[in-house]
Amino acid sequence: MTLSLFNQFLSPSLMWIPLAAIALALPWALFPHQTTRWVNNRLLSLQSWFLGQFTQQIFLPINSPGHKWALLLASLMLFLITLNTAGLLPYTFTPTTQLSMNMGFAIPLWLATVVLGLCTQPTQALGHLLPEGTPTPLIPVLIIIETISLFIRPIALGVRLTANLTAGHLLIQLISSATSVLLSVLPAVATFTITLLFLLTLLEVAVAMIQAYVFVLLLSLYLQENV
Amino acid sequence: MLSRLVFLAGSLKSSGPIGAGLVQASRSLQTSSQSLAPVPPLPEYGGKVRHGLIPEEFFQLLYPKTGVTGPYMLGTGLLVYLLSKEIYIINHETIAAITIGTIIVYGVKKFGPSVAAFADKLNEDKMAKAQEAKDVAMSSLTQAIENEKKEQWRVEGRAMLFDAKRNNVAMLLETNYRERLHMVTNEVKRRLDYQIALQHLNRRMQQEHMINWVEKNVIGSITPQQEKESIAKCIADLKVLAKTTQAKAAA
Repeated sequence: MTLSLFNQFLSPSLMWIPLAAIALALPWALFPHQTTRWVNNRLLSLQSWFLGQFTQQIFLPINSPGHKWALLLASLMLFLITLNTAGLLPYTFTPTTQLSMNMGFAIPLWLATVVLGLCTQPTQALGHLLPEGTPTPLIPVLIIIETISLFIRPIALGVRLTANLTAGHLLIQLISSATSVLLSVLPAVATFTITLLFLLTLLEVAVAMIQAYVFVLLLSLYLQENV
Repeated sequence: MLSRLVFLAGSLKSSGPIGAGLVQASRSLQTSSQSLAPVPPLPEYGGKVRHGLIPEEFFQLLYPKTGVTGPYMLGTGLLVYLLSKEIYIINHETIAAITIGTIIVYGVKKFGPSVAAFADKLNEDKMAKAQEAKDVAMSSLTQAIENEKKEQWRVEGRAMLFDAKRNNVAMLLETNYRERLHMVTNEVKRRLDYQIALQHLNRRMQQEHMINWVEKNVIGSITPQQEKESIAKCIADLKVLAKTTQAKAAA
């Protein structure tokens, strides 16, 4: 039972062909390209509107050298949100449950913001290590603490996304297993469990979208500090 | 369309699939004149679907052979076959599928129309803005045309304006002339009146002088002897008169 619980997180392969590539290509296939038309169909209008709103929202506090990151962060957001929500369907594989992939997103992007900050404005970037108005005796300790917090950021970023999604998927699987077992034994308890499952699934839908947003928001915050 | 090109290339270079691949490799995208042709317009709305998933064309396909219930029988039979032969096993994922399926269907049914209306409104607003710009341009141009016509009508009335002005000026001149004439007449009359008054004065002075001279001479010519005689005569006359009056009063 313990093994089969985590089977859903194994990277799927069909005769040693990794199917994770198809799973990762899914968001690209779901969203239509920009057309040369002036008035588009509903899906494209909604998509353009959403991307415009989102990019404006995220990049409002960032000054103009950081606007070069708009394409990257907007497409990252769309990618993550699609992967997360599509993973809620049955029998799907969610690539964002793999720590490897999330760290693959978090570490390079975080490192890019830090290196950008150190290259363009080193004094200010290093100045972030000491918050304003700290009493003098605390300064050495605080610098160490801030450095640790700086280096924890990519790990936190990656692990947050992984943990949230993995936990959610595990819970869904556990509770639905419980329901399927209880259905034949105690149907009344099974109805309670299925209600629980409904609420949990609603939560998971919310979590899926929020986690993607939080990932991109935090990256934009790190960018804002350093650009 | 590209597959058609492959077949064409395959017939041109009759060396099988490798020849077609060679042609494909040497042809770059979007450079031939075929990409300049007008693309057929995209459909405005998607194809009709029944139950949100199955295109209407499927039902139309099966209708001639199996009627209205055909596709449903097919679906049910397929489902039952999969379940009974345990090709599809009911496990925990089924329950999770039921849950997420319910949530999705509920979400689409509840929020679908409003989201569609919102998307339509986005497009409508875009078109309305362009339409408004066009309408404003049209109305401003119509207004300009009307203004121009009015100006042309005004130009026609220009002759009347000049006549009126001319009349005005002529009247002013006439009034001015009459005033000056009047003034001249008054001045002349004043001078003539002065001459008349002067003549009258002359005449009167002459008369008075003459009267004074005559009186003076007459009074000078009366001698004292004559004065006594006249006084005595007057007294005699008065006595006679008094007698006659007494007589008349007594009678």
